[in-house]
Amino acid sequence: MARGWYLRFSLLMLFVIGALAISTPTFFNLNEKSSFPVKTKINLGLDLQGGLYMVLGIDFNKVYKDEVVNYAKKVQVTLKEIGVESSLGETITADLKDPQQEIILSNTQDKTKALDKIKEFYSYPLRLTSDSETKLVFGLGREFVKEIESTALSKSIEVIRNRIDEFGVTEPEIVSQGEDRIVVQLPGVKDINRAKDLIGRTAKLEFKIVNDTIPQATLNDWLLKAKEAKIEYKKGERFSDYVKGINEFLKNDLPKGFEIAFSKTMSKATNEITNLEPYLVESASLLTGDALQEAIVRIDQQENRPYVALEFKPNGAKLFEELTGANIGKRLAIVLDGNVYSAPMVQSKIAGGSAQITLGAGDYNALITEARDLALVLRAGALPVELVFEEQRIVGPSLGADAIGKAQFASMVGSLLVLVFMMIYYRMSGAIATATILVNVLFTLASLIAFGATLSLPGIAGIALTVGMAVDGNIIIYERIREEIRAGMTPFDAVRTGFDKAFWTIVDANLTTALAGLCLLNFGTGPVRGFAVTLLIGIVTTVYTSYFMSKVLFEIYVGKGDRKTLSI
Amino acid sequence: MSKKNINYVGMFTPAGLISLALILATVVLYFIKGINYGVDFRGGIEVQVKFKSKIDVSDFRQSLSEANIPLSQLQSIGDDSQNEFLLKLESESVDLNVLSANLATKMNEKYGQGEFEILKTDIVGPKAGAELRLSAFKALFWAILAIMIYLALRFDYKFAPGAIAALVHDVTIIIGVFILTQKEFSLQIVAALLAIIGYSVNDTVVIYDRVREIEAAHPNLSMVETINRALNETMSRTIITSLTVFGVSVVMLFFGGAVIHDFFFAMTVGVILGVYSTIFIAVPMTAVFEKYFFKKV
Repeated sequence: MARGWYLRFSLLMLFVIGALAISTPTFFNLNEKSSFPVKTKINLGLDLQGGLYMVLGIDFNKVYKDEVVNYAKKVQVTLKEIGVESSLGETITADLKDPQQEIILSNTQDKTKALDKIKEFYSYPLRLTSDSETKLVFGLGREFVKEIESTALSKSIEVIRNRIDEFGVTEPEIVSQGEDRIVVQLPGVKDINRAKDLIGRTAKLEFKIVNDTIPQATLNDWLLKAKEAKIEYKKGERFSDYVKGINEFLKNDLPKGFEIAFSKTMSKATNEITNLEPYLVESASLLTGDALQEAIVRIDQQENRPYVALEFKPNGAKLFEELTGANIGKRLAIVLDGNVYSAPMVQSKIAGGSAQITLGAGDYNALITEARDLALVLRAGALPVELVFEEQRIVGPSLGADAIGKAQFASMVGSLLVLVFMMIYYRMSGAIATATILVNVLFTLASLIAFGATLSLPGIAGIALTVGMAVDGNIIIYERIREEIRAGMTPFDAVRTGFDKAFWTIVDANLTTALAGLCLLNFGTGPVRGFAVTLLIGIVTTVYTSYFMSKVLFEIYVGKGDRKTLSI
Repeated sequence: MSKKNINYVGMFTPAGLISLALILATVVLYFIKGINYGVDFRGGIEVQVKFKSKIDVSDFRQSLSEANIPLSQLQSIGDDSQNEFLLKLESESVDLNVLSANLATKMNEKYGQGEFEILKTDIVGPKAGAELRLSAFKALFWAILAIMIYLALRFDYKFAPGAIAALVHDVTIIIGVFILTQKEFSLQIVAALLAIIGYSVNDTVVIYDRVREIEAAHPNLSMVETINRALNETMSRTIITSLTVFGVSVVMLFFGGAVIHDFFFAMTVGVILGVYSTIFIAVPMTAVFEKYFFKKV
């Protein structure tokens, strides 16, 4: 039986030395500059070091609706080119997943001509669902929908990653979850609100011509009318919903192709809107943030105020030149996420491809931060869709410190209790069990570090539970050995039988636990996942230490079979 | 140590009745009191805040309600001197992000920055909450199913029903205890339930293993005798292992801090239930099934 234990013992020692090496930077809290060859430390979960965890969802139903309306507008433009006049009918949202848009032709005889043209240019994005007399109803093309979904998700992740990279967070994690979710984890982030704002903001930049033919007084009258109809901005409501509501309500008053947008002034202290100024701007924009090459913060020396300088790509510059050239004397609104930032008068045709966004008045430092963030999101690009915060977990750093301290203390007390019990109950064999358990914990931690897994608070709980459970393997073996000794076996034979018979029991018992662990891993998010990972790693190390390691130690202890008694 | 020979299978009927009564009680409680779902499953905002000095709780409540902040629960954490509170906010009409920002603004206004510290904020949208709830129950279901299939393949299908009955029993009664104490049922508790499932079946499997061994060595023994013998032979291991896990659980429960308190509350209850259900439900049930469904020829 003792044959070959040298080899297995050496292997064990190799593992132990390896695990110690991996864990050293964590245990002694070595920094990057130390001469120790291993640098990696354990990844602490958000609950332990503080930070931000969030799940962002894409509201595809809204995307579908926007897309179908947008394409219907494009169809109108195309039809107009061939002399077919049309107007937009209702948007039918009976099935939210498949919204439909009506286009109403002014003349019935245009129908064939119109349908041919639409078929030629829009058969991919749109599908005709019904046509009567003059009414054509369109839904989105099936393939097109799939494309929207996959590109929206991957593009959003890319944009968020760009923004976070510029913001500067160590080890952020941005991954998709399912088909319409993005999970963002930012460990150790201090300025949570700023991070949230940077990530959640759509940053859709548009340049729109202002319609000044309608006097400001009329705009105000319209808003009053809306207010009387109870359409007003309520605190807590999403501002974009309010803007939508207004435009929906004033549908018949507004000139075709124009909509209301606001410039809003916020009070930094109370986070409330203090002033709203309405603008009548073009609904569709020809020039958007896609055409930007660069966005940088500059300081206006005269007024000592920061602004964001924009530089267009070559074709964007050309578009900007045309746009300004055609609208001299009109105002050009710079619209970000539906809000008007500024609306300077176009004095002359602007060549050279640069523009600027000025910010409102306010505290200089606050303005600088705002300008920086704005430039950042513009550089990183706009999100292709609006994201909804579905889940957010924010942990302050001090909660983590307190929690770690308590959980660590309790884990140690609990483990010590078990180890002392084992030594008293099984004496010498208990000492062997103690050695295996200490090595087990070491292996679990080393595996967590080596796999780059995260140690969360439930993970510490998982390690404590692993200690409680790991002794089970030893107990199964020891109780068996005791039984066999009672039945009259020699220590040598009893140990061999005990290990042989216990092997499959230990494997079965641990595999069933592992099944539960796998289900947990699959279901869990955040900290719960950390618990599952620790549990699973613990199961593997437990089988190794409480069976294989114990066996080698026992072989050394029992020797070649001349031992008469066993301390068990 | 003298060899004990206790007839565990004989106690199946009274034990089964007690367990059935407890399960029934859980079902009744579920309809009367309902589960106190945490913010994870219900959606809403949960904020843990620590004040530098003592505050007037009713004044705090009042000022929140004046600011139209829908506070649904305000409980203090730890002992009073800690000045630590858990706030729960729920709203269907107001965007939760705006609500949490408003709360922070209001508190800044009232107490001043630096006078309090927000330790933790959880914001879960209603959609995410409903989905988390669904996936939690799915995870429990799959875990039990996977274990059932494993037992049927690795052992014999006659072993599966007892083990599953025991698992369903454990999970149900722990949920019952949570309903009774109105402790918050959160993601963590689901993790605890899954861990308990793992450990409870662990106990059961060790004994099944012994049953199989005795069956092979003494094929002429009746199933009842075999099972009683297996239970008696493994009893010392069952008790010692449960004691170690129980010991760790209790220590963690009392010293582990507030964050993992409920998790270990579930674990502690679960360990007790797990041992009980293994000895009196899971294993004896195999004999009962054998007797009625798989009669030996």
